[in-house]
Amino acid sequence: MSKGVLTLKPKGITADGKGWLVGIAIGFVWLSPLFWMDATTFIVLTAAGLAMGMIFFMVASGLTLIFGLMDVLNMAHGAFFAWGAYVGFSLLGMFEWLGWVETGTFLQCMTTVLVILAVAFLVGALIGAILERIIIRQVYGDHLRQILITMGASFVMVELIKIFWGLNDEVVAVPLAFRGSFDIMDVVVNRFRILAIVLGIIVFGVIQMVLKRTKLGIIVRAGVENREIVETTGYNINRIFTGVFCAGVGLAAMAGVMMAMFKQEVHPAMGDDSFFFALMVVIIGGMGSVGGSFLGSLMLGLAFNYVAFLLPKAALGVNILVMAATLLIRPTGLFGHEE
Amino acid sequence: MTQELSPVHLDYMQEQRTRFVSPTFLLQIALAASLLAGPLLVPSFQVMDVMAKIMIFTVVAASYDLILGYTGSLSLAHGMFFGMGAYALGLVCYHSGSPHWYHLILAAGIAIFLGIVFSLLISLFSLRVKAIFFAMVTLAIAEYAHILGIQWSELTLGEDGISFELPWIFHSDWSAGRFLLSEIDDRLMIYYLIFLSSLLLFMGLVRFVRSPLGRVLKSIRSNENRAVALGFKTFQYKTVAVVFGSTLSSIAGVLFAMWLRYVNPDSVLGLGLMVNVLLMVLIGGLGTLYGGIIGVAFIIVSENWLPGALKAAAGIFPPSEIITRLADRWHLYFGVLFILVIIFFPRGVVGTFRQVIARRKAEVLRKRRTEVRY
Repeated sequence: MSKGVLTLKPKGITADGKGWLVGIAIGFVWLSPLFWMDATTFIVLTAAGLAMGMIFFMVASGLTLIFGLMDVLNMAHGAFFAWGAYVGFSLLGMFEWLGWVETGTFLQCMTTVLVILAVAFLVGALIGAILERIIIRQVYGDHLRQILITMGASFVMVELIKIFWGLNDEVVAVPLAFRGSFDIMDVVVNRFRILAIVLGIIVFGVIQMVLKRTKLGIIVRAGVENREIVETTGYNINRIFTGVFCAGVGLAAMAGVMMAMFKQEVHPAMGDDSFFFALMVVIIGGMGSVGGSFLGSLMLGLAFNYVAFLLPKAALGVNILVMAATLLIRPTGLFGHEE
Repeated sequence: MTQELSPVHLDYMQEQRTRFVSPTFLLQIALAASLLAGPLLVPSFQVMDVMAKIMIFTVVAASYDLILGYTGSLSLAHGMFFGMGAYALGLVCYHSGSPHWYHLILAAGIAIFLGIVFSLLISLFSLRVKAIFFAMVTLAIAEYAHILGIQWSELTLGEDGISFELPWIFHSDWSAGRFLLSEIDDRLMIYYLIFLSSLLLFMGLVRFVRSPLGRVLKSIRSNENRAVALGFKTFQYKTVAVVFGSTLSSIAGVLFAMWLRYVNPDSVLGLGLMVNVLLMVLIGGLGTLYGGIIGVAFIIVSENWLPGALKAAAGIFPPSEIITRLADRWHLYFGVLFILVIIFFPRGVVGTFRQVIARRKAEVLRKRRTEVRY
């Protein structure tokens, strides 16, 4: 089988066969906050960090795939995130009318969340398809103009949000079953965070499955490696571009829904912050690597939460610090390819 | 001629000969004169405000053009340097209580220092890798600076911003009678300081681009691999360009804060400013320096009068919620314009204009050659 050709060797930190050393170092860094806090706090913060990281991962995975395959740095990714959040906000209003938000069984709440996520994904993908076909296609092969044109698109999309939904912050209601928290032996874990973590792991699993186990995934991975060769084998790479772009921005829209419920509010500029985080995740993980962005988002989510607890003022700086440290060690990110 | 001259030297001699008679030069003189005499002849604050902003942003756009148009590295932290300069002046004047004239120099010094240090750090850190990587790193850092500006409220006073007084003849209660149609007051003095500084800065930029170093930058823009093959260490040249451009931007930030006497994170550090500067440079044309002036004038003028025009246009339609909202969001039209400019004017106004002229010259040249042949 052609598996040997197409399986991407992880050119990451473990390439030199000293993976266990790196593993111990990572474990030590991860557990080091225990010096300053008790185990209960640590677990609570870890849950929060993982939930946050999973939401970042959903944004960053799309960004990194789009970048890896199409060479497009999609500056409008944050706008899709915000669109997803607002679509979710509106849909929650509709489900509230059904009575499945403020009241309702676990099953009804679960349905609510899943339907909203699916609709947000579809809306994101639809807008993405329009954007990719009409605007981004005009400037293929020109980095600078791609960045600029997606920036303009992001501008327009955020303004459209302001026109449709108004300028103000809106409060988002979380479905009843995901409010409050579990209390297991004095460890209080927010229910919604568990949902976010589970969802993030599912998304990661699905992406990895699709990339590693399906023919489409093989084509996409091959496209990341070398676009021309995929074209010469007779696949219409443009269609694949559109597909990956739609899926990527759809994921961002889903992440927007999750973040809206996580923070329990939406505002038009919410995409900016998340885009900023996702960008750092992609830089840390290496551009084009889904596994790298998974690791990177967990790193950022956890680091942010630990530091926010220990030194609230430094919480924003720690992301830049993590990014700088990663780049010093590996200039192309954890799983990035050497030039 | 006894000695064969190099193309560079010939080009230079041509430039020297036509220096004071070329239409461009006359245009420059006319522009400078109108900016100089404008506030004296038109006693309207709005006009003066627009002109001052045009001058400041011309420096920002031109220095950005140096980075983007001449070396091809997309820095998205240009707005951050602008904000640094603005905050340097704001903080120095705010904390000094009653500022003296040397506080202005101090603030300018701090702005230059911060500009050099940070741009050097960023360049050393990220310019060596791919161009797109530089864009991402600068974007991350600029966003971070914006968030810092909002959150670090002990230093920056958060989203409320800082309003402050200026020293010396720029102080708001300073006035010295009338001259022509306008009053000689602090505003006018600041206006002329801005005029003088931005003129000097712009001329410095033009000189920089015409220097041997600027020629190397142009060669990097057209073919970096070839420049490397010719033995130029392109990384160093790029770094110099980025540092120079960013520092100019932070000086322009000082001027901007001086004009407004107020800074807040969204107006001087936000991504909106960065997008505006990009749009200015793109409308004008990359790698043209002068194109920036057209782009800046277009944007500043439309920024000032577009909202009003939209409101007037909305008045024609029957009053409804969606129409008023559409009329309020004038940034929407900016975004659409941005996309259209990128699709249809890849070289900007001046760039396209120059292309047309070059094509016509080539046409003439070809005709002459064919005439000789037959």
